[in-house]
Amino acid sequence: MLRKRLIFVLIYCDGFFMQSRNFSLQKVGGIEWIEENYDLRNISFALDEIVVLNVSKNKRSEEFYEVLKRIAEDVFIPISAGGGIRSFIDVVRLFESGADKVVINKILYSNPNLVKKIINTYGSQSVIASVDIKDKKVLLDSATLEIDVEPKDYFKNIIRMKVGEILLNSVERDGTGFGYDFEMINSLISSCSVPVIISGGAGNGKHLLEGLLLDNVSAVSTANLFNFVGDSLSVARKEIIKSSGELLVSWDSRLMGRLNNKFQKHIYG
Amino acid sequence: MKVVIVDYGMGNIESVKGALKYLGVDKIILSNKLEDIRSADKLILPGVGSFPSAMKNIKNFALIEPLKAEVNDFKKPILGICLGMQLMCKSSNEGIKTEGLGFIDGDVEGFLDTKLNTLHVGFDQVKKNDNSRLLHNLDETADFYFVHSYKVLSNSDIGQSMCDYGGDFIACYEKDNIAGVQFHPELSQSNGMKLISNFIEYF
Repeated sequence: MLRKRLIFVLIYCDGFFMQSRNFSLQKVGGIEWIEENYDLRNISFALDEIVVLNVSKNKRSEEFYEVLKRIAEDVFIPISAGGGIRSFIDVVRLFESGADKVVINKILYSNPNLVKKIINTYGSQSVIASVDIKDKKVLLDSATLEIDVEPKDYFKNIIRMKVGEILLNSVERDGTGFGYDFEMINSLISSCSVPVIISGGAGNGKHLLEGLLLDNVSAVSTANLFNFVGDSLSVARKEIIKSSGELLVSWDSRLMGRLNNKFQKHIYG
Repeated sequence: MKVVIVDYGMGNIESVKGALKYLGVDKIILSNKLEDIRSADKLILPGVGSFPSAMKNIKNFALIEPLKAEVNDFKKPILGICLGMQLMCKSSNEGIKTEGLGFIDGDVEGFLDTKLNTLHVGFDQVKKNDNSRLLHNLDETADFYFVHSYKVLSNSDIGQSMCDYGGDFIACYEKDNIAGVQFHPELSQSNGMKLISNFIEYF
């Protein structure tokens, strides 16, 4: 049985990881803060994937690629990266820095040919379309630009473009911890033929579980650095596995620990 | 221990390198040079992308005959990951029918069941073949990260362990010195790390 996934979203801007609330950003800490408060190697056992988004307005921030590489070295789960992708070279740099998939947003609307080129080169499975919804409208570019396309039609359009997955976010619930916007989510995903990751509002394990129990939801995500600090993600995961049976994988962190540097200790051949 | 990741210009190999590093492998080399492939203790054939373009690249790097010699004649252990697993088969019908490296009696074709998404993506359970060296000391069913729309078919005993996606398909195979995994062990946390460790230890 194909499992569902729990995804952690990290929002990065000019040296800092950010807490977003309704798409307004607040600085939390740098990569050292993340490594201290969110030991990535350990926390990855509570996760199935990581998404890293660069929301900097300074284009081509080299440091973002370095951060991405550092994360990719630490964890052995798929990493998706994005934020501000405007050209093919942006995508190439992300893949070269360890991304397994890229997250695209504005170009879905503004540059469908670029989307086509990305998909033709890297395959549908490498492309996540991020869709931000507020008040039944589609918003682009960190929710600063509203477009005049019905969310349902927008979904149809991007599915036709053969994106691999959709990351569906509620701008109103973003960072609130009030739970996912199921009314919005249900109105869009009932007949969606590609996997959907839901986002925006999860504040605790119960919210994550509620999302995972929806038939058409392939993954739940949270970007809430405050609500899931320390071991609370792994506690939430354990509770989800206990109450939902086989929805998520149980990872064996002790086995992982035993394998570290295994071949350094022996002389082979 | 010298592990050479065969670099033919396709696939995200950062995580494969990272996994070998985590395991403490001292020589991890990304290369398409003959001398590296010849002097390697183990080979890893990675791959993301389409079968025809991968075969074209392998041919352009003049790697087909050297790989055949190492694997078939010198019985050098090789692990094919995802597309790499498919490339070691006889042929694929992805796009146009293309001949593969032919190490394994198998052919590659797409998922045709239209009720399911033709892309199989996510963590899914592999049912262990009792004799499996790759899955040694893992649970009877173990989860791995899949992302593919083509699969290997074989009527021979190639030590296959199966996964179910609209019917059973070959999740991994292992025959003598040759191992292939449809999934990505380098993205499958503890299970994947154990599998790569098993490959190094038992092949």
